[in-house]
Amino acid sequence: MLKFEDVSFGFDEDLFANVNFKLRPGEIAVLTGKNGVGKSTLLRLCNGLLKPTRGKVSVAGFMTDEHKTSALARHAGFLFQNPDRQISKHTVAEELLFGLSLTAPDNQNIEEAEKQALLADITEEFGLSPEDEIFTLSKGYRQLVAIASVLITKPSVLLFDEPTVCLDKNQKKTLADSLSKRVKSGVAALVISHDLDFIDLLDCKKLILKDKEIKE
Amino acid sequence: MGGLGYFPGDSFLHKTNPIIKLIISLVIVTAVFAIPSLIAPISALVLTFILAVSAGSGRWMLHIIKSMIKFSIVIFVIQTLFIQTGDTLIPLFWGLRVTYQGVMFSLGFVLKLIASALPLALVLRVTKGIDLADSLNETFKIPYKYAYAIASAMRFVPDFADEMKDIIEAQTARGVEHDAKGFVKKARLLAPICLPLLINGVRKAEIAAISAEMRGVSNR
Repeated sequence: MLKFEDVSFGFDEDLFANVNFKLRPGEIAVLTGKNGVGKSTLLRLCNGLLKPTRGKVSVAGFMTDEHKTSALARHAGFLFQNPDRQISKHTVAEELLFGLSLTAPDNQNIEEAEKQALLADITEEFGLSPEDEIFTLSKGYRQLVAIASVLITKPSVLLFDEPTVCLDKNQKKTLADSLSKRVKSGVAALVISHDLDFIDLLDCKKLILKDKEIKE
Repeated sequence: MGGLGYFPGDSFLHKTNPIIKLIISLVIVTAVFAIPSLIAPISALVLTFILAVSAGSGRWMLHIIKSMIKFSIVIFVIQTLFIQTGDTLIPLFWGLRVTYQGVMFSLGFVLKLIASALPLALVLRVTKGIDLADSLNETFKIPYKYAYAIASAMRFVPDFADEMKDIIEAQTARGVEHDAKGFVKKARLLAPICLPLLINGVRKAEIAAISAEMRGVSNR
């Protein structure tokens, strides 16, 4: 589902070297490590935003060096640390449906009723109001909108970079439940987090990026 | 390589007084527009490039020039088509033609555009915003809050460019085809980045203003 084979990456020198790891469907892994060690960089390699210097990365069966990132978005849902960079519409409903239209190439075949059902399910799950103006919401809620806009597209791999930074305790619980539910249904998830309370809520594999390699 | 902001270094240019750097860049820009010859922008380009190399930013400058050339080609083509006077070089369709005068004017225009943008970009590359504000305050006795506002405004240009790059990356990861080929297609895709760019820009400006006020900038 997500596979790193002898992956090295660096700008002037290697940030990490010969990294090997595999994430199978139905698995969730939390990646930790010191600041600046390259966690976010590693996550960007997973969906082809960055290409490895050496080695191969595959996500959902697609080699990242053979496909465009925008095409891989149909299979790999990526959440950035700052939700405001992902959001591009005025209301919650517009934003979530925009996410859906981007990743469904044959979206014109999705019935309006089905779209509305997906929208109703996801907004209920995260306690969002479809008609709310996003940029008037608190940062925690904007983060939930960004998370929901990833999850509504039903990707088979989730790549989340520090998803709980702006969330309160209840919102973290909601996110943990949501991730666990999707992982049980066969989704693979790689989450970067330093939030011990959140990590405790997940039944996950714990990885650490240290000394240029991933250790379990 | 870095973007349009300050890049640390210990070159002669880094150590030069910010006001001197600003004056030199303004002299270059003025010369580019005041001298009615292609020699002026070409000389300015060469001079700015030599200065950039001396500051260890030669590769960065080539990258900036490369980015500007893409934009300049579009301007060159449009400008050339709008000038229909002079000797015909290439006859086109619907009575349009490429003229010698059109080509020379458009070439001069884009060269001046590039040559006038680079010196200021280099000043930003080798000068900390806060040093510039201090120098404006000390040398020209510009009240600190105005000098700080000028320095902050200059800092916002590279910040905006970085923000735009990050937003494009985030939108691409969502499935917006910024990584597709074709100028027209890419231009159409700029719409989804306008809202986050505007909102984040206003937010950043507000936070910068509040934090400057809390640090007592207006009292200096």
